[in-house]
Amino acid sequence: MQQAMTRSILEVKGLNVTRNGTPVIENAAFTINRGDYVGIVGPNGGGKTTLLSAILGFLPHTAGSICLFGTELSKFSSWQKIAYISQQATNFEDQFPLTVRELVSLGCIKKGKLGRRFTPEDWAIVDENLDFMGLSDVANRRISQLSGGQKQRMFVAKALTHKPELILLDEPIVGVDSNAQEKFYKKLSDLNVERQITILIVTHDLTSVFCRMSKIMCINKTVEFAEITPNLDANMLLKRAYGKHFHFVYHQHNCEGVFVAEH
Amino acid sequence: MFNPFGYYFFQNAIAGGIIVAIVCGLVGLFLILKKEAMLGDGLSHTAFGGIALGLLLGVNPIVTALGVSILAVFAISYMRRKKIAPTDSAVAVMLALGFSTGLILISFAGGFNVDLFNYLFGSILTISTTDLLLVLGLSVFVLLFISFFRKELLSMVFCEEDARIMGIPTNKLTILFDLLIAVTIVLSIKVIGTILVVALLVIPGLCALKLDLSFKKTLLATILFSTTSTTIGIILSAIFNIVTAGFIVFILVTAFLLTLTYKKLE
Repeated sequence: MQQAMTRSILEVKGLNVTRNGTPVIENAAFTINRGDYVGIVGPNGGGKTTLLSAILGFLPHTAGSICLFGTELSKFSSWQKIAYISQQATNFEDQFPLTVRELVSLGCIKKGKLGRRFTPEDWAIVDENLDFMGLSDVANRRISQLSGGQKQRMFVAKALTHKPELILLDEPIVGVDSNAQEKFYKKLSDLNVERQITILIVTHDLTSVFCRMSKIMCINKTVEFAEITPNLDANMLLKRAYGKHFHFVYHQHNCEGVFVAEH
Repeated sequence: MFNPFGYYFFQNAIAGGIIVAIVCGLVGLFLILKKEAMLGDGLSHTAFGGIALGLLLGVNPIVTALGVSILAVFAISYMRRKKIAPTDSAVAVMLALGFSTGLILISFAGGFNVDLFNYLFGSILTISTTDLLLVLGLSVFVLLFISFFRKELLSMVFCEEDARIMGIPTNKLTILFDLLIAVTIVLSIKVIGTILVVALLVIPGLCALKLDLSFKKTLLATILFSTTSTTIGIILSAIFNIVTAGFIVFILVTAFLLTLTYKKLE
């Protein structure tokens, strides 16, 4: 029991969420454990972003419960443990006067220590995370000059600077080419393994989910949640969300090929 | 030619002008980034009601204007938060209410002529030592706040949801920032007058933003644009005996056009 308490980072039970009176999420129930790398998939309008918004408390839920780090959402206050990168994050104003390094440094702002000056240690963490996300070369560029993939990595670097235990990432639908996207997932894998950060990512890239991630959440009003094992019947799961004509071709060796190319 | 530099009134004017220019430029930059530039304009017009009230009661109009601006900014904030009206409409309502109150008070008092003109268009060259001290005090308050919380403010104007998750109390910070705007508007009334405050708030930041600099350098460039324009405006107005506000705005707009040309040629 004690172990279950510490391992579970996010526990959702019987969750209903409505938007403008229309039910968007119905009776969702799942438990995310520390160290999970969860791919959230499902058709557009299926409720992926809505679910994240409910978890973060942006949207009220009509039934059920959400527990973050063992605390009921309404009483939860340790938000510094959570980083959220929204779908709109990369859609900032072009004229916004920030360099990449400046933006990432905003992750150093700490609750309870507002108004403090950043120390050399803070800047060292900023530079380390820029380096980790492969952004050292563009650190002094303006944020608007980056490519879509670089912008994505920049927001992860900012999130990392905050030293989160859980990252929720709502992936932008457009603007990143598949090569950059694959590198991005690789980086997230590294974070997940090396820094033990729990990751929930909304994505459209099913192959990456099955290759890289430990669990899959399939959302279309209802939420299917499964551990990714060689025995998992992927199509059964996906058909429930995408419809019975959906067919996903996926072979374990595809992934091996991907991994080999990188080492 | 008339050399104004040897006169006390002129030194006071330059000192007051520069500090107000710094405050206006910095607060204005955040207002632009928050896309609420017209909030500044609305509040300064609302403050006109406060000025009329001060003149009527025989109280320092800066003090009454401050009270009215603070009330107005909280009213706008309340309407926005409770979704009674979007920001721009809420601003329009308060602007009209403040200005019409001013008109009624003026008619009631039978007009204040010269005094009123000074508040509408500024009168930095006749700033009294008391007013200068009042302006300095308020400026120090605003500058200290910005120097401590600029990162939190920046974080909030960049993405409010994200800032909130990071543990920044965005609601409280918004209230404080609103208060800052009200204070800034009121202290700039002496320099540039209620009608043209918005120019000193918005144009320096806009010029700086056009240069595509880092945040740090954008802050410095904003200060440079606002203080230079204000200083030149005050000097020219003393020499040619023409309303200061007119010159300051004219120079600000010229600076903006030059910046645009520079960006085109670059």
